[in-house]
Amino acid sequence: MMSMSDSIIVLEKVNKWFGPAHVLRDIDLSVGFGEVVVVAGPSGSGKSTMCRTINRLETINSGAIRVNGQPLPEEGKELANLRSEVGMVFQQFNLFSHLSILDNVALGPLKVRKQSKAEAGERARWLLDRVGIGDQAQKYPAQLSGGQQQRAAIARALAMDPKVILFDEPTSALDPEMINEVLDVIGKLAEDGMTMLVVTHEMGFARQVADRVVFMDAGQIVEQAPPEIFFTRPETARARDFLAKILK
Amino acid sequence: MTTANLFDQPGPKAARRITLFTIGAVVLIAIVVAYAVMELAARGQFDAARWSPLTNPKLILFLLQGLLNTLGAAAVSLVLALVMGIGLAIGRLSDVRFVRGPCVVIVELARAAPVLLSMLFLFLAFPLAFHIDLSAFWTVVLALTLYNGAAIAEIVRAGVLTLPSGQQEAAYAIGLRWWPTMRLVLLPQALRVMLPGLIGQLIVLIKDSALGFIVGYQELAAQAQSAALLFNNPLQTYVVVGLVFVLLNSALSWVSTYVSGRQVGADSRDQAITTVGLEPEAAAALRALDVERRMGR
Repeated sequence: MMSMSDSIIVLEKVNKWFGPAHVLRDIDLSVGFGEVVVVAGPSGSGKSTMCRTINRLETINSGAIRVNGQPLPEEGKELANLRSEVGMVFQQFNLFSHLSILDNVALGPLKVRKQSKAEAGERARWLLDRVGIGDQAQKYPAQLSGGQQQRAAIARALAMDPKVILFDEPTSALDPEMINEVLDVIGKLAEDGMTMLVVTHEMGFARQVADRVVFMDAGQIVEQAPPEIFFTRPETARARDFLAKILK
Repeated sequence: MTTANLFDQPGPKAARRITLFTIGAVVLIAIVVAYAVMELAARGQFDAARWSPLTNPKLILFLLQGLLNTLGAAAVSLVLALVMGIGLAIGRLSDVRFVRGPCVVIVELARAAPVLLSMLFLFLAFPLAFHIDLSAFWTVVLALTLYNGAAIAEIVRAGVLTLPSGQQEAAYAIGLRWWPTMRLVLLPQALRVMLPGLIGQLIVLIKDSALGFIVGYQELAAQAQSAALLFNNPLQTYVVVGLVFVLLNSALSWVSTYVSGRQVGADSRDQAITTVGLEPEAAAALRALDVERRMGR
């Protein structure tokens, strides 16, 4: 296991309740620089919630979260700064529907990084080319397929030059034929050394791309292991049960 | 038109019943109208002498001056109400309780107070409180702004709240703070969604400007009243002036429908997720069904 100083994300004894529901139980997790961690587990196991605590889209009730060595800021400019360095890709894409694809990608660099219009636009074009939708730059989100929208959302996250990107079930809202085009983009980012935490049900992707698989159930991290071990000899009965269901 | 999916298509019995009721209702209305027309005619309300003054160029000019005053007060109020409404909506959406609280109080008070009373109150209280004689124009404008600003605040707030929460989260996630998120992401979308509602509020505003007569503002209805006194033809004058209001507001209503139709056209391009984007297509489909049905009969 990685030492703390090599970690971009560290969660220590993180607990969260939604009312009476204890959705995160003593979560300890670290993600190293350049590492690709896939979080798997049944629906309602707390995967997405955990992912969303890392840039404080969800608050926690106890425990500590550190990003890049610093405690997660709780508000204001510091929090906004941190969020600008932690990319996030959502299940529902969440592209800004009133802006063109290009403006979606350029908005952060323009307004947060205060780049010039030309600079932000040029880089946005380059990123859109990189995710394979350079020809869609002037269209609006609803004119694109789900797969294209999600690739635009990835470009939007990349535009901030994040130190790490959180993927919250990036392919769960996609039609089956569009899943691979998005996974391919994420896989390429992994090859390029991007640090990523990916919540997903795509076990084939996890097997190929992940450095480590984290298995969650009922708000706990039950097991974590490199994919070749997790998928062939899971230690816990819960993981075996999950894999038996999902790998049919 | 949209009832087609709210109710079952009528069966033969229901169809007969509907026909029967329709005929009955038409006959009843015809009787009432005929009676009213006869009575009005008997009292000389259709005499040329009562209608001819309305063709007098001087009178027309006099009424046009009133219309101009109505439109002037409405236009200035609209601008001020928009500013106030957007400001209050933002305040009421704020996380800060000391900002939100006063905004809630202002909106609820201003929305609940009758415009007529606000006008009177401003007219009487302003000179006493600030030693400034408020002109009739500004009394009308301020009262209209107060009420319509509060109403617009609620329209805008509803617009922001109907946006999917993912829009705000995505803005936060790229490092935008609360105000830039509001200004760059939420408000532009909310205002677009709410444009028909805002135009509806403009119609209310124009109609309410007629209350200005109470403080002596020479708007269209007040001018009509003066003219009617002069020529002793109040019914005739009010019919004409009422028609002007109806035409004006129908035109705005039409603009609202047109804008929302275009909006929806734009939405089906770029915002398919919202139900707003679905309505026009659904409406068009229903219209087509309706036409088919009527042709089949």
